[in-house]
Amino acid sequence: MTQVQLKAVRKQFGNFVAIENIDLEIASGELVALLGPSGCGKTTTLRMIAGLEQPSSGAILFDGRDVSEQPVQDRNVGMVFQRYALFPHMTVEKNVAFGPSVRGVPRAELAARLDEILDVVQLSDFRHRFPAQLSGGQMQRVAIARTLITKPSVLMMDEPLANLDTKLRGEMRRFIRDLQQRFGITTIFVTHDQVEAMELADRVAVIFNGHLAQYDTPDRLYRQPASLDVADFMGASNIVPGLLTSDDLAKTGVGEIRVAPRRTFSAGDKVQVMLRSEAIDLMTEQPATGGVPGKIVARDFFGASVSYSVDCGEHRINVSEQARRLVDVGAPVWLDIAPERVWLLRN
Amino acid sequence: MSASSPAVPDPADAALRGPSARERRARVWQMVQLAPIMAVLVLLFGGALVLAVLQSLGFAPWFGVNTFPDFGYFGALWGSSTFWVSLGLTLYYATVSTAIALVFGVLLALALVKIFPGKTFYKYLYKLPLMIPYTVGIALAVLMLSNGGMLSRLAAFAGLIDDPAQFPQILKTHYGWGIIAVYVWKQTPFITLAVYAVLLGIGRETEEAAAILGANRRTIFFRVTLPQILPGVVSSTLICFAFNVGAFEAPFILGGGFPDTLPVVAWRYFNDADYTLQLQGMATVVSIGLVAGVILFGYLAAYRRFERRMGRN
Repeated sequence: MTQVQLKAVRKQFGNFVAIENIDLEIASGELVALLGPSGCGKTTTLRMIAGLEQPSSGAILFDGRDVSEQPVQDRNVGMVFQRYALFPHMTVEKNVAFGPSVRGVPRAELAARLDEILDVVQLSDFRHRFPAQLSGGQMQRVAIARTLITKPSVLMMDEPLANLDTKLRGEMRRFIRDLQQRFGITTIFVTHDQVEAMELADRVAVIFNGHLAQYDTPDRLYRQPASLDVADFMGASNIVPGLLTSDDLAKTGVGEIRVAPRRTFSAGDKVQVMLRSEAIDLMTEQPATGGVPGKIVARDFFGASVSYSVDCGEHRINVSEQARRLVDVGAPVWLDIAPERVWLLRN
Repeated sequence: MSASSPAVPDPADAALRGPSARERRARVWQMVQLAPIMAVLVLLFGGALVLAVLQSLGFAPWFGVNTFPDFGYFGALWGSSTFWVSLGLTLYYATVSTAIALVFGVLLALALVKIFPGKTFYKYLYKLPLMIPYTVGIALAVLMLSNGGMLSRLAAFAGLIDDPAQFPQILKTHYGWGIIAVYVWKQTPFITLAVYAVLLGIGRETEEAAAILGANRRTIFFRVTLPQILPGVVSSTLICFAFNVGAFEAPFILGGGFPDTLPVVAWRYFNDADYTLQLQGMATVVSIGLVAGVILFGYLAAYRRFERRMGRN
């Protein structure tokens, strides 16, 4: 188990700055996701931690020890590549045994470790097959086994689920989470899928254009994003401009919304009010107090859930709820949201 | 009333009936498309091969010779000790130059996949010899490497030797440094091109994965990179070796004289005033073809065996 720290790490390719002074602290045994759109620098960050790229400036520390200059072979890290990077000319067994064999692990120990790890990833029956004879999920597991057998102090995964179909992706998410908890390895993975990041990670580092936008737990990222960009990337659909008329009341284009008072905001501030669609209660009767009136203009049925588009004056608000009932399009409704579930963002 | 079901074609019936009119038309069209290349292969290459074998066995009525089947020409050739020296020289030049070009080509291809300043320029530069004819390369070798050439004059100018004539003889020796230099100069870019294309296809991820797993550069090359670039290595060296075995100009101009390489021996027979010696020349050509064919077949068979061991069918 290893603690990983990035201190003012910067990476420049020619005139292009890929990473700009990132500070990151990953606790020992923690599973952290680097999340961001394509080209934001998350893979570059991962490659620098692995030792495949050298930072232009700053330091990477493992358990307080600077490894920035250390060759990749000496870092004892593991990496699962997006396209697995299995050796196509080697069987599953030889792929998995490659790491220990080049590290000079004695043959008897290697055989024991190989049997154990193939058992863990449930590939014992496929040990004599070549990568081309495996499915995507099986290749993924070979790549993980090939890494875990070397007992890495830090495990890294670059978009590990990107090449899998939806069903397999869910299975592999659980599989990766179980393995990570079982071995307790500090794990960093790259993804552009916020659902994947939230489901797998203990903490998520959101990166935009080489800058760390927010580093937080999944629930805080989702409910309390630090900026409009983060909120947008995390899938927030109802963000409306408003004015704080008092500490606990915001005047918006959809009406007055009660908010929980926050120290960083005060009356008179111009704000962006974020309403998570699943946090809004859709009522067909006017509540005794409050409630934003509106009319349903569209309904999308997803089986287990249903999403409504509600016309509320200047804005349309999305509301989603479990599909226990279906409210007709055109019906008048009132939206109610608990003040503590309303999040305020600076303009 | 009888129960009836929609008529579903039975595959077994279809097989018994044979190909449909549409399938026959498709086959005919396929044959038409293949006709040009088949004509070249069968008429030009196949016809010439048959004629060469017939002549080497004594069938040449147009020269007033018809002793077919007569293995005497092969007997005379293979019974001569100089034939085996010639064969040895031919294979030596072909093998050494192919091997050196392979090493240079692979190193160059490995360098070209990396990012470095001026890479685009070097990518054009290394291909230059591909566009220059062999004869120009031979002329350059004479200009540079002969005893009155640039290197000898430079060595004399630098005081390393008193006179350009004292310069060690590189050309016109049976070591064949000039021949090898020309082949390597011309074929290194060809091998680089083939290997570079394969390297681009496989990407760098497997090498990076191996490095992360703890492999050093040597292990990465021999255990990870080389097995993956083998298709490019085999195809390019196969072509280079086949060319070198049959090449004539470089050994003729830069070689050490008697005993010559087999293509030069054949040329001398063909060029002799005695037309009947052309049959001996044809036996030499067929011998070159046989030797090259056996070696290349063995090379390919070994490669296929290796491929099957790697799970590639």
